[in-house]
Amino acid sequence: MPDNCRTVGKNIARIGAVERLQGRPVFSADLSLDDALVLKVLRSGRAHAVVKDIDVGPALAVDGVVRVFTEADIPGENRMGIINRDQPLLADGRVRSSADPVALVAARSEEAAERAVAAIQVTYEDLPAVFTPDEALAPGAPAIHPDGNLLFARRIRRGDVEAAFSRCAVVVERTYRTPFIEHAYLEPDAGAGFVDDDGTLVIYASTQNPHYDLTEVTRLLGVEKWRVRIIQAATGGGFGSKLDLNVQGFIGLALYHLRQPVRMVYSREEAFLATAKRHPLEMHFTTGADEKGRLLATRVLITCNTGAYGSYGIAVTSRSAVHATGPYKIENVEIESRCVYTNHPFCGAMRGFGTPQAAIAHEGQMDLLAQRLGIDPLEIRRINALRTGSVTATGQKLSASVGIGECLQALTPHYDQARRQWRQEPSSPYIRRGVGIGCMWYGIGNTGTKNPATARVAMDREGRVTLFTGCADIGQGSSTVLTQICAEVLGLAPGDIRLVVADTGLTPNAGATSASRQTYISGNAVQTAAAKLAAALLEAAADQLQVPRASLALSNGEVITGAEKTGCVSFARLAQMLHDQGVSLEFEGFFDPPTTALDPATGQGVPYATYAFAGQLALVEVDTLTGEVRVARIVAAHDVGRAIHPENVRGQICGGVAMGLGFALMEQFVPGSTLSLKDYHIPTCADMPEIVPIIVESEEPSGPFGAKGVGEPALIPTAPAILNALADALGKRIDTLPASLESVLETSIATGHFGPREV
Amino acid sequence: MSTEYIRPQGLDEALGLLQERQDVTILAGGTDLMVDRRSEKIRPRCLLDVSRLPELRRIRTRDGVLEIGAAVTISELLASGTIARMAPVLAGCARRFGSRQIRNVATIGGNVAHCAPCGDTIAPLLVHEAQAVVAAPGGTRTVDIGEMAGGPYQCILAPGELIRCFRLKPCPAGVDLADFQKIGRRRELAISRISMAAMVRLDDDGGVDFMRFAVGACTPTPHRFREVEDFLLGRRPDEGLLWQAGRLAADTMIAITGTRPSAAYKQPAVQGLFLRMMSPLLQPGRKSHA
Amino acid sequence: MKNHTVTIRFTLNGEPTTVEAAADVSVLHLLREHLGLKGTKEGCGMGECGACTIVVDGRAVNACLMFAPQLDGREVLTVEGLRAEDGLHPLQQAFVDHHGVQCGFCTPGALMSAYALLQENPRAGREEIVTAISGNLCRCTGYRNMVAAIEAARDRRTDK
Repeated sequence: MPDNCRTVGKNIARIGAVERLQGRPVFSADLSLDDALVLKVLRSGRAHAVVKDIDVGPALAVDGVVRVFTEADIPGENRMGIINRDQPLLADGRVRSSADPVALVAARSEEAAERAVAAIQVTYEDLPAVFTPDEALAPGAPAIHPDGNLLFARRIRRGDVEAAFSRCAVVVERTYRTPFIEHAYLEPDAGAGFVDDDGTLVIYASTQNPHYDLTEVTRLLGVEKWRVRIIQAATGGGFGSKLDLNVQGFIGLALYHLRQPVRMVYSREEAFLATAKRHPLEMHFTTGADEKGRLLATRVLITCNTGAYGSYGIAVTSRSAVHATGPYKIENVEIESRCVYTNHPFCGAMRGFGTPQAAIAHEGQMDLLAQRLGIDPLEIRRINALRTGSVTATGQKLSASVGIGECLQALTPHYDQARRQWRQEPSSPYIRRGVGIGCMWYGIGNTGTKNPATARVAMDREGRVTLFTGCADIGQGSSTVLTQICAEVLGLAPGDIRLVVADTGLTPNAGATSASRQTYISGNAVQTAAAKLAAALLEAAADQLQVPRASLALSNGEVITGAEKTGCVSFARLAQMLHDQGVSLEFEGFFDPPTTALDPATGQGVPYATYAFAGQLALVEVDTLTGEVRVARIVAAHDVGRAIHPENVRGQICGGVAMGLGFALMEQFVPGSTLSLKDYHIPTCADMPEIVPIIVESEEPSGPFGAKGVGEPALIPTAPAILNALADALGKRIDTLPASLESVLETSIATGHFGPREV
Repeated sequence: MSTEYIRPQGLDEALGLLQERQDVTILAGGTDLMVDRRSEKIRPRCLLDVSRLPELRRIRTRDGVLEIGAAVTISELLASGTIARMAPVLAGCARRFGSRQIRNVATIGGNVAHCAPCGDTIAPLLVHEAQAVVAAPGGTRTVDIGEMAGGPYQCILAPGELIRCFRLKPCPAGVDLADFQKIGRRRELAISRISMAAMVRLDDDGGVDFMRFAVGACTPTPHRFREVEDFLLGRRPDEGLLWQAGRLAADTMIAITGTRPSAAYKQPAVQGLFLRMMSPLLQPGRKSHA
Repeated sequence: MKNHTVTIRFTLNGEPTTVEAAADVSVLHLLREHLGLKGTKEGCGMGECGACTIVVDGRAVNACLMFAPQLDGREVLTVEGLRAEDGLHPLQQAFVDHHGVQCGFCTPGALMSAYALLQENPRAGREEIVTAISGNLCRCTGYRNMVAAIEAARDRRTDK
């Protein structure tokens, strides 16, 4: 790729790294507010019940307790939810899961708040509860919400599946299952708030979407939006779970009534119990191909257990359907994905929105087909890979930036070497080695809905530039990347850009930090805003210097005349001049990816403006005697369009691989059993394989400098690659995650690998 | 009600306090105690910090016996040349124990007294036929390490008693295998699903002439599996024989524990891990140390 | 009933410090709430994540698993004490240079583990580095750039 860029594509120092390295008090739990009251929630502890009575009297009698709130104290609408609004902030006469909040205590100390929570007397009348989608959809099942337990279904129909199956040389059918997964971001949810001099309720929170928080909090409180200001504190990871309102509503409620500073910090146990999980999916896949390995048809039925509330369940369901083909051409599809309420704590967004689960299935199917047809697994993927001009299952013609072929190409030498050599040389007679591939595609941004971002770039009288963006940097590095884009357009160094980020009082709405959308969508908004400022400066400079505008360029805080450098004028001088003339140097940029809604019956439409693609190769060693698995190496090739900050991209890939490894081998959230990080294990440094990240840049014409996104794609291919490598090692697939010690050993026994080798 | 903290200067003072007061909780590293405190399993009224008592901090050999003070930390076990030489199995366990942060604080005495079924130091202590030297009101008594736990998390020590040290029979000269193995759900910071400790010596003909073998995390309290030792003593291990012995280990576990849901994994895994652990014996001339 | 507090005297980031606290609070609580040092983070409160790692008498420990009085007479280093005369400590600088920070919540703890390791063994190899930070969970980075940063800091020290 030609590189005329000064900042884009360079690994500048991360914005915000130094304060974190010095341990400065930037996270919500670190904020010190004078005499802040402590907030704690009483949660129901029962799966499904009517709340007959709440007696807060004994709690109010606890020394240090200031107030106990119940639903009656909520002045606005006691309903939350970004897609479907089904979740009360405090129980509305009914609890639908053991995590449901029933009452909120404000107290002068942590201890008093805890004692008060324990003292609240609630009378419940238990209702029958359901925990699996099968139970929930059975006739006569208790309805968890008024419209029944089937929340949503996404159907995609194209071609003639039945006829196509009859033409297939081979058809494979399989059911894949994934468990609840906990996000396990390192920073438990937290927030703090106070009432400003002008009466504004100011809420600091660990969040992925401050502007959504504002909408919800003001609706709960029944106040105008200007009465509340949400400021994103430094956020210690989110991975989707901090898209929901976790502490924000409680803080808002307490501020509204008490008008004094409050703070709320979840313990790890509460973060485990009360925040969203990744949806467990059951995925029944039937896939057929002709004798050359070309995919002809797929029929898919997916069931998502969303627990007691929708949260992002509809998005997860829809995305799992849209992505069920994998990054492959299949002309005949019949896909249905359903989202079902149960009485488990709720599921919501988690890195990939159903796509990581679907990829387990479509990649399993590819390997099964390859095996049945005697085709190499890499080859069958190459044969079917989407390319420019391909039409997807939703009928979208891909016009550019389809880098799956290039990703596979990048893996090929590593794959060949691993198959030919590494796989044949196990380190002990009891070890078996396997090599596996996982591929994915991922639509950037929300599915078939508007999801715009606005950004603002302003130049003050001294010529200093400030970028205002509502985009929450939760660790993925968006502030750095957006600054780079802004700096690049204006010919400045990144350090010259002042940043104002994720503060509803100051910044325009950038939408959620989710769906791998911010580099692409906010990046475009920033680029547009910066380009408008650049144009204003160029125009003013052309007047000033009396030269054609086309001969001018922006460089190091000056407008210079192109080749000869005969003249120049500083930004400061231009800014002063324009400000003095009363010209505003504040510009907004807006971008909403061009999509169309999916047809409810056929799922046809343009759900995303662009897609990221990736392929990963896993090399694993299986101890056939114990079921222990060591992932030795992951080669990860990712088409990101353009890497604005290559080290950030590699960082996302490596972090995604870690999460994917946990998903494949060890992570399983069991409601009521996995209560903390003691019971729920995520990979440590020692569990990590050698990672070889490969950046593929298949430029996206509509992206800022050609960029798409990588946050979620990083994770998606890892688990399928590991599972396929395990199957390669043992000769039998594990289709229910995680591939734990237990299931790997069971597979080793079933395949005859367990036992003496007679060396 | 708030908690008192006392840090005695010497063992006598500590023992005096222990006898005087009934409400004392012994604090060594505190890593388990703090977790129990958080979950409100305990609410100590008085913490007696024994972690700095010089009498509890020594590693030494006396009359051919290896003596390890109860307040020696796991990291100190790992760093000790004496332990590496005389109790390599224990050193192997120390390497796999918790995380570095926990190893730096947690003590061997605390691990033993906590009586967790998965407590990693117990199986190695069993193969060293260790005894706990317990300071008791009437003087000193010794308790075989296998007798310390009455059940999971149930230490048989009476209030007022304190573990001073452990006495271990050192690893005999010329052992062919001295090893600790552990299966966890991840490679570090892992709770043992299964742990094993073993010392084996072969005679000139390749027959087993010495063996001690213990298993952790598979039975309510870790056990020495003498059935397995007896089975192999006097025999020349080949792969088939070790496989049979592994099966015997698994059967022994089931005999003690019964068939729990976890047995579906642990039964074969004990057999498998046993074979893997002992397989260095199959390569003549190879000595394996943890 | 008498409310006991304990007087705890120790050296904190080079400064002699005396503090009164209840005996059963954790060192983490002591640092954050009594002493206002918020750099040491609470990620789990039970020794499973390492976000609260500090260095006591040269060794990395979980501040959440120590009772406050256990610090008495000790020398304590927290992330706030990690610095060089000219600004960032070489380890911190290496984390910047090698992009070892993402969300940054685990970062102070990981730094302290790395610091203790390099104090103990300035030539620690990769395996030791991996072991030393295996008690510090990170959900963002996949650890790769953290290990690279620590190796770079080690090399810079040993070059001198």
